[in-house]
Amino acid sequence: MNELRTLWVPLAVSGVAIVLLLVDVLSPPGASRRWLGWFVAAALAAIFAGTFLIDGSGTARGVFEGGPWTVAFQRLFLAGGVVAALGGVDDVARRTPLRIGEYWLAMLFSLAGMCLLPGARELVFLIVAFELMGVPLYVLAAYAKTDAPPGSDPAKKGLASEAALKMYLTGATSTAITLFGLALFTGMAGTTRLDVIGTAPLTPLGGLGLAFVLAGMGYKLGMVPFHMWVPDTYEGASTPFVAFLSVAPKAAGIAALSGIFLFGMGSHRAAWGPALGLLAVLSMAIGNLLALPQTDLRRLLGYSGIAQMGYLLVSVAANDAYSAGMTLFFLTAYLFTNMGAFLVLHAAAEASGSHGYDSLNGLAQRAPGLAASMMAFLLSLAGIPFVVGFWAKLYIFLAAWRAGLVGLVVAGIVLAVIGLFYYLKVLQAAYMTEPGALKKPEMGTGLRLAIGICVLAVVGLGLWPRPLVDGSLAAAKSLLDRPAAATTVNVVPASVRF
Amino acid sequence: MSSHLLSIIVGAPALAALIVIFLPENGKLAIRVTSLIAATISLIGSIVALRGYDKVAGGQQMVESYPLIPSLGVHLSFALDGWGGPLLLLTGVIIFAGVLASWTLKTRDKEYFALLLILVAGVFGVFVTQDLLVFFLFYEIAVLPMYLLIGIWGASHAVPRAGPFARAWDFFKVGDKQYAAMKLTLMLLVGSAAILVAIFALYLKAGVNSFDLGLLQKAKYDTDLQIILFPLLWLGFGSLAGVFPFHTWSPDGHASAPTAVSMLHAGVLMKLGAFGVMRVGMVLLPEGARFWVPVVGAVAAINVLYGAYCAMSQTDLKYIIAYSSVSHMGVVMLGAATLTPEGWNGAVFQMVAHGIMTGMFFALVGLVYERAHTRAVPKMGGFATVMPGVAAFFTLACMSSLGLPGTAGFVSEFLVFLGAWKAGHYLWAIPGVLGAFVTAIYVLKATRAIFWGPGPSHDFHDLSEAKGTEWAAPIVLGVCLLLFGLWPRVLLDHIDPGSGMYLNKVVKAPAPAPAVHLTSGASPLSLTGGNAP
Repeated sequence: MNELRTLWVPLAVSGVAIVLLLVDVLSPPGASRRWLGWFVAAALAAIFAGTFLIDGSGTARGVFEGGPWTVAFQRLFLAGGVVAALGGVDDVARRTPLRIGEYWLAMLFSLAGMCLLPGARELVFLIVAFELMGVPLYVLAAYAKTDAPPGSDPAKKGLASEAALKMYLTGATSTAITLFGLALFTGMAGTTRLDVIGTAPLTPLGGLGLAFVLAGMGYKLGMVPFHMWVPDTYEGASTPFVAFLSVAPKAAGIAALSGIFLFGMGSHRAAWGPALGLLAVLSMAIGNLLALPQTDLRRLLGYSGIAQMGYLLVSVAANDAYSAGMTLFFLTAYLFTNMGAFLVLHAAAEASGSHGYDSLNGLAQRAPGLAASMMAFLLSLAGIPFVVGFWAKLYIFLAAWRAGLVGLVVAGIVLAVIGLFYYLKVLQAAYMTEPGALKKPEMGTGLRLAIGICVLAVVGLGLWPRPLVDGSLAAAKSLLDRPAAATTVNVVPASVRF
Repeated sequence: MSSHLLSIIVGAPALAALIVIFLPENGKLAIRVTSLIAATISLIGSIVALRGYDKVAGGQQMVESYPLIPSLGVHLSFALDGWGGPLLLLTGVIIFAGVLASWTLKTRDKEYFALLLILVAGVFGVFVTQDLLVFFLFYEIAVLPMYLLIGIWGASHAVPRAGPFARAWDFFKVGDKQYAAMKLTLMLLVGSAAILVAIFALYLKAGVNSFDLGLLQKAKYDTDLQIILFPLLWLGFGSLAGVFPFHTWSPDGHASAPTAVSMLHAGVLMKLGAFGVMRVGMVLLPEGARFWVPVVGAVAAINVLYGAYCAMSQTDLKYIIAYSSVSHMGVVMLGAATLTPEGWNGAVFQMVAHGIMTGMFFALVGLVYERAHTRAVPKMGGFATVMPGVAAFFTLACMSSLGLPGTAGFVSEFLVFLGAWKAGHYLWAIPGVLGAFVTAIYVLKATRAIFWGPGPSHDFHDLSEAKGTEWAAPIVLGVCLLLFGLWPRVLLDHIDPGSGMYLNKVVKAPAPAPAVHLTSGASPLSLTGGNAP
């Protein structure tokens, strides 16, 4: 029973999914299913609240570990789910009125997979959770394939399918690569338990396994040079979904990466640290530089997301409890910031029929509140004080410097300045151009609420980051600062190893 | 002594900005009155702070401290030192005049005044904060609204493009609008990036888990580290102070900004840069500073001459004033580089003097431009026949610019050159004095071309004398200019203990305590004589 209790969050999310499935099937065919989105949002919010009341710490058979680290990530995913549900409720009902139930179902299953990932302490369990998260996302990316947004270019009609296919192919390949790497780990250590794998000496094949896992995870996270699918998918899929896709699976990927590299292979940092550092610099450089010439804001935010992943990897590469806490803090900041930016973009694009810079033209005069929200999000992405993004960047760079990665930090700061250029350009469209014939964006209650939550989080945490910082640090301590794991599992005799 | 005076000075504009955001768009008068009230509160607060500062005791007074992020050692802490009072007063005067100068603004008032107030809250914050990270936060707050202020209300696209930045701009196909605003913002933020790197190093190497400036001052940094870090802070903050060759944003930015924004930017913001170099760079990294001052001073001398030379060859009125700012900020940096009490007093005094003078210049240029609809100096002439008052104030600002005794500009330049001479850097004093001479040429030339001579040509229909709130800025600033010129002790009595306190940390052998000179009244610094025989 105690073991079920540690798993209660993913179980509850799956439970909501099953209830939703039943309701969807049992309702008469013609009935409105619009409210399902609201139901999902409310249910996820309830589970979010529940994480503060129900203590899920403990381990389940050594493969799943509850505790502050896991709960922190679960809250992150749930918050992302709530915002995504609120932000997408109208869009889903309008674009695919006959398939509302399935949309939310896929999202809930993906969320359930995410909620398993941060606690996964065993490789098979980890990869299964990873796929549970990933597969529904491919479906969701293709969801709007027959329903191009009103007024859009007919030549772009197949974009959603293309987006989903690209994402699926790279995703499937990356899973295969990751699995292969994990298999090599298992061969090296004779077990699939992460706490034991780290204690085994690193063999050359184990090193190869590290490279494979890093590449596989790199695909999922959209690190350079595995980033090609990111902008294409962001451009093709429906924007409220992209808002979710751009943050929650990334956070889940970081959770998996932390599980494998920090928790499992932390003692072998010398082997993977430099590689991760290199990927971080590449991501920051390519992401920021390629965002500059973009004309579609979804692609721009895609490249900006690649750069943001680069900043995060700097922090992961630091490999200590402090920087892991800051990674968590950065992810929280990034979640609200990026979702907010995509949702504002969605609202603006609905009113203008394009996703270019000009879709934001004169937004400050058409919808001052929306423009001010966009400014908060953009400044947060750029890392400007008094919005949460500043603290996020400050903390991860400080943590990385403390861990001795001075070169990475300097590179990050310099490249962040380049990033500012395109964020300011977006701001320029919203504030310094005339609206022309563009109308005031019309937003439903859900979208308003979703953007409101994001603004509140971005500005609120920007003014008062302390509780979240302390919480994140405590969570990371529970993951990494612990007595050496007891090696009670039977280890395969050395002669059998590779 | 516990008081909330400094919080009030910093908080009033911030609070007013918040109120303005929630005022209705069409409440034009309410927006202006709210802004003016906040500016007045801050101005009065700064005067009270200046008067309330105990000059004999010196040091830091009116200390307030609230924990912000204890785990990192970040405190929202304010304190007034000797420099703080005069610089607060400068900011208070400029924002007061700036709000009045913006009274006739026509579009998007709400956003404009909110941004202006946020910016000025940042400036106030920088001058009184005692926490390095909060210092950086306020610094950013002061710099960033500029982007929108210039981009929206300025003539940012009308700036001629040249140089490497323009080529990068075209290469990335980033469009043709808001060139100057983007240039300014990006150059300053590159500077901020350098500052941030240095702040990280200072914080982590000190090992006291605190950003408190007082604690960081006591930390012992390796000489090598200091030598590496000082240029980061010098050029990082220096980019805002217009240090050559990172000054190129300044003429474009000032020329394209609306009047009050130019006033604030040239009048106050550039001082933040110089203040940062001295307060953070030199005080925290004394060995680095001593190693680099020859370069800092030499570059400052280039600034003085090059800025003046550029100003001489401009025909656009705003560019003339903007380049004169580059030149005058060179005087500030020159004073800082002398590492003598006279030089530092002169540098801080020059911050105030130049701030007020250039604020007045930009206010008057705005008046002229609104009436003449051109900034091309060669087309103008004889405006004094129609606007004698404006002409008189403009001439006064010119006199201070060229350092005429009796104006504030004389005091500071005299002190700086005295400091340079005393420090044995004769070579710096020569270009400095030469720069002042060239300044005389271009300001007098400009004044003659605009105001004197026979009456204006018939192309100018709308010329008229300033009226109503337009008088506020010239009068307030003009009075300050004369007051500080004729009676510099008002400020110097404050600046001097401040300089002494900080200089003791920079110069190894303690400099003869300057505070003693002043209280005995026998100092060469007290230009108007002491109160004791």
